[in-house]
Formats: sequence, structure tokens, C-alpha cells
Amino acid sequence: MITPRTAIRKMLLGAMIPMGVILLWYFTAPGSVVVPSVWSVVQILIHPFREPLCLDSTSLADGAAVSVLRMLCGFLLAVITGIPVGLLIGRSRTGREILAPVTAVAMAISPIAWIPITIIVFGLSSPATAVYGQNAWQHGVLDQLRFAIIAVIWMGAFFPIVLNTASGAQHVRQSHIEAATVLGAGKFAVLTKIVLPSASPAIFTGLRLAGGIAWRVIIAAEIFPGTRGGLGYMIAVAHETASYEYAFASIIVIGLIGLCFDAVLRLASLRSTRWMVQER
Amino acid sequence: MNDKRELIRFSNAGKCFSTPGRGDVWAVRDFNLLAHEGQLTCVLGASGCGKTTLLRLAAGLEKPTTGEVVVDSSRVNGAADIGLVTQEGNLLPWRKVLDNIALGPEIQGAKRHKRIAAAREALSRVGLPQKVAKSFPHELSGGMRQRVALGRTLCAGSRIWLMDEPFANLDEPTRHRLQGELLDVWFEDHQTVLFVTHSLEEAVFLADRIVVMAAGRMVAEFQVDLPRPRNRLGDDFVNVLLKVRRVFTETDR
Repeated sequence: MITPRTAIRKMLLGAMIPMGVILLWYFTAPGSVVVPSVWSVVQILIHPFREPLCLDSTSLADGAAVSVLRMLCGFLLAVITGIPVGLLIGRSRTGREILAPVTAVAMAISPIAWIPITIIVFGLSSPATAVYGQNAWQHGVLDQLRFAIIAVIWMGAFFPIVLNTASGAQHVRQSHIEAATVLGAGKFAVLTKIVLPSASPAIFTGLRLAGGIAWRVIIAAEIFPGTRGGLGYMIAVAHETASYEYAFASIIVIGLIGLCFDAVLRLASLRSTRWMVQER
Repeated sequence: MNDKRELIRFSNAGKCFSTPGRGDVWAVRDFNLLAHEGQLTCVLGASGCGKTTLLRLAAGLEKPTTGEVVVDSSRVNGAADIGLVTQEGNLLPWRKVLDNIALGPEIQGAKRHKRIAAAREALSRVGLPQKVAKSFPHELSGGMRQRVALGRTLCAGSRIWLMDEPFANLDEPTRHRLQGELLDVWFEDHQTVLFVTHSLEEAVFLADRIVVMAAGRMVAEFQVDLPRPRNRLGDDFVNVLLKVRRVFTETDR
């Protein structure tokens, strides 16, 4: 049970290092050419919809929205494909023998390494180019969802989900499966009523890991040439034009969005694995 | 001669496990048993004599290496009209009590309101208050967990109950109370029960018939004709207990 006193203590302790960094930044910025003043960054953060005059980029809010949208597309795709593959590896010996070596090798490769390859494979295609062809540029949001970037995010998020789901599915207690089998459960019922809920703590661990990786990967992918829009793109452009206040503002927003995304996944995880939390 | 339907039949059934260190180990060997509808049969034996394997064969969780096991006229394949209650209760830790009890109807495709109503009724019949319905299994005592396991089997409407030392982990007063509650349920519905235990007293208290097992084989069989409710301190009860103990001790040597 967390009392208000412990909650305040926890918050204060957690805020200590960020406050220290901000103070250090505040005092060192005036003497630096590269480090922007705290106030200039705060100005950007409190006016997120204002379009930067010095940059060939959309507003901070637009950039954040594009990055989040791209990340969610890749992440959801990884969830939809990763959980079934993980279940297959965890519950089927043949599936495990076929897929486990490939997964182990692919897991060792950084998702960033795939960026040049996905750009070669998908080029600048997006849902907008697939539907509207040459008029794709008129459909901003759809055109921002470049398949090459989505594929890289998928690469980053897919394997942690697969490995954790497989581990969870593999360690389901046989006696739980038998309890359902004896009551007449078929393979599908065993999968949905026993294997999935039993493996859910491991699956959620995989989702949180995958969420963190996907968010880091999207920023890296957006820095690559050929991308327009997004927080990563904003950082790259800010670097080229020496508008470092935008780079700093983007970095802060990246951190905050990452924190929020992890908090949402953590909350979902706690809700659906309450039985585990209470058992601890 | 019993004119009731045969519900469980072991015909020369045997089960052999291949183990890396010990080679082939026969857990059950040449086992013959008939259990009639509504009969409460106790399988009595020391630890490791093959009782649990026998029950798993009946549940369809193991295939016999030799002979055959027939449950309710169909060779068992795991999807029969069977309820299994084990020593640990085997409840699903992520489900609350009511959802654990409702598992059988849920698997059978019953609508939510129907299965919840059935689960609430089962909860009452096994002597649990409605307030535990929303608890997780780990929040309950050992005795309550076993009651939930009984409730799950009851709610599934299983006519054949396979019980693997369900009360072995409980303290004596709780064990006695649950034995009584099991009999109450059985008096009402007359399920066919195959009850595995290593407690002689439990077997004599519960059973219509006691089958003694040793080294995977049936070594003796007793009809227990004592009237119910049975008095554990009565002369007749003690006489039957001593008779079973004599055979049990001889076979255990």
C-alpha cells in the first residue's frame, strides 16, 4: 500500500537527477555556442503548434504526432504477428525447431541495420502511394507512414514479443492444461483460456520491451535521408541548421512520450496480471 | 451382481514409462477394474504404487501401453464426461473463484449469465460463501481451494469424478469436514467416483468399495457395506479398518 508520504518521497527522489541536469544546463548554456538556453527550449515546448521559421519542418506537435503514428503502426503490426509466432514457437516442437534459430539470429541484428535494406525494398512507398499514386503527397498523414520505416519498427518490436511470448507459452503448467482438457477443451480453447492468460505476464514484458525498442528505432529511422516529418527528422534538420533549441525540445518530447507509452503498457500489464502482482 | 451401468472399465491395462536412468518402469500393470454408475470406489495404496497413473489413464491424460481403459462406453480421449480434482486443486490462478468454477460450462459454450448462475449454485453447494466469488485462488485457504475445485467439477456436470488425494494437504478437521461435504454432494447426484488415497481411514469412511494397489497391480478388493453416515469410532468401522490395514501392511512389505 502506497501512502501519500511514500508517493511524495518517491516523486522527489525521482525528480532529483532531472532537476540537477536542468540546473546544470541553466548555468552552462550562456557560455556555450551549441547548448541553447533553457528559456528558448521552454518557449518551443509551451508553443508546440508553432511552425519553426528557421527549419524546413512542421511544428513540434506535428512531428510528435507523426512519430507516434508511425511507431503505433509498426508496434501494432509486431503485436499482431509476434504473439501468434511466439505461441507457435512456445507450444509446437516443430514450430520451435523451424523458427527458433531464425529468431535467435535476427534478434542479434540491430533493427537500425535493416534501414538501408528496407529503403531499397520499399523505396518511398506508403499507403498513400499505394492508393493515390503520384498524388500521394496530397495525403500528408498516409504519406508519412512510409513502409520502409514501419518495417524497421516492426523488426525492432517483433522479436522481443516473439521471444517473450514463446517463453511464457512454453512454461504453462501442464496441470492447468489438463484441467481444461479433462473438461472437454479442444486445442483452441486450451490456447485461449489457458495458454494465453498464463503467458500474459511474459507477453506484457515483451510488449514493454518492444515498445521501448520501437520508440528508439523510429527516432533513428527518421534521421535517415528520405524521411520527412517526425521528431527524428526534426533533430536531423535542427542539426543541419544549427537550431539546437529544436533538437533539445525534440529530445525532451521523445523522452516524455516514451515515458507515457511505457506507463500505459505498464498499467495495462498490471491490470491484466493482477493475479501475479498479488501473488508476489 | 450389480445391475447398474459400467462407467469405468480397466481391462488388463498397463502403463509403462521409459526413463533414461531406470529403463522401462511399469507404473500400472495388468489392471482390471469395473466401476459401476453411482459407485464410490477408493483406490488405496502407498506412495509411488501407480494410483495417480491409474487416474490419469481414466482421465485420458495417458494412453495405456497394454490393455484398454474404457470410460462411459467410449475409449477415453480426454474429452469425456469427466471431472478431475487433484491434490493441489489445480485452479487457474488468473481466474477468480467464480470464473474457475464456471470453466466447464464455459468450455461447453454456455452463455455467461447461465454459467455464472450455475457457478453460484455450485459455490453454495460446496459450502462456500458468495463473498469469495471474486477472490483469486491464492487468497483462499487450502480447504477453500479444494472446495472450489469440487465446485468446478460439480458445475461442469461431470458424472465421473476422478479424485487424486484431494484432501491430502489439509489438516484433519478440514479433511473430515470436506469428506462429509463430498458425501453430501454424492448422495444428491450419485456421481461415479474413483477416489485415490493413501489414507486407510479416508477410504473406509468414503468408499462403497476399496481397491488396494501395490507395485502397479490390484492386490485386494473390499466391499464396504457399512451404513452411512459412518462413525469413525464405531466397532464396525474399526473392524473394517483393521481388516483393510492387515492386507495393506502385508502387501506393503
